Amino acid sequence: MTEIKTLADLKKKQEEVKSRIDLRNKAENPEARVQVKVAMATCGIAAGAKKVMEYFVEELEKRNIDAIVTQTGCMGYCFAEPTVEVILPGKEAMVFGYVDNVRADEIIERYIKHGELVDGIIPQNYDTIEQEER
Amino acid sequence: MVDLSMHLMDIVQNSIQANAKTIDILFEEKTKDHTLTFVVSDDGIGINKEMLKKMDDPFFTTRTTRKVGLGVPLLKMTCEQTGGSLEVKSEPKMGAWVKAVYRTDHPDCLPLGDIAGTLALLLKTNPEIRFRVLYRLDDDEFRFDSDELKQLGIDLDTAEMFFALKEFFTANFEELFRKRPCGSYLC
Repeated sequence: MTEIKTLADLKKKQEEVKSRIDLRNKAENPEARVQVKVAMATCGIAAGAKKVMEYFVEELEKRNIDAIVTQTGCMGYCFAEPTVEVILPGKEAMVFGYVDNVRADEIIERYIKHGELVDGIIPQNYDTIEQEER
Repeated sequence: MVDLSMHLMDIVQNSIQANAKTIDILFEEKTKDHTLTFVVSDDGIGINKEMLKKMDDPFFTTRTTRKVGLGVPLLKMTCEQTGGSLEVKSEPKMGAWVKAVYRTDHPDCLPLGDIAGTLALLLKTNPEIRFRVLYRLDDDEFRFDSDELKQLGIDLDTAEMFFALKEFFTANFEELFRKRPCGSYLC
């Protein structure tokens, strides 16, 4: 492929990608997509969160998983950075700590694809109070 | 922080937290003065006087999840260790402006790092924010405005477009950096 250097090159690439993607039927409902949130505060950045995030962006698409990768701030688990929060459609958020590319692969293959729990989960319950009230 | 691109990511996060709609990023290298100036300015909610004073105190943060805030103090440390300086200006509702000056003739000057990848990542994950980037190297410059992407109908939804954008930045920076005279620690 030729080098991309101008905005026109980017535009050309976009058209090329679009013509292929349309065939793949993206889910229209954002709720139905897997959400991956990478913590990107000072602690995360210093621990290498950027590399992990690029890995998720690349690999989720390669493996045909309809996911949206975003960044969040620090969740207070600085000791376990890089941390990644994964929300499977209709499920509670799950936070994984000490994520490198190897663990990211494990999270995609086992947790995102099959719902199996993997090492490095940081327990945190968003819903505790609400549940008690019910 | 190992390189400047990490500081870039970190300081821009502060702007994003401050609900900025437009974020301006400026790098300016001056060969004659041996300086690299790094400026991030935004139109976010701004910082009040009291907080501005505590800004470079590592044990101050607006967060409730933890008790230390190292973003700005680390930036201050890395630029001051080269003999440079850090300046922060802000007023409530008037956005914020952070300027760090590095001496490029000092061996402690941080390398630039993966600026292209960091910019691409910021653009991909914050599609609602307008980013304007200006990299000036003496008389040459590279300008970028994320609104131009929108006007051309380019979205970064796919990984392929993300890597294309990264390549676009890399190619442009490479061309610009070729004009940098050697002797600078940024080489």
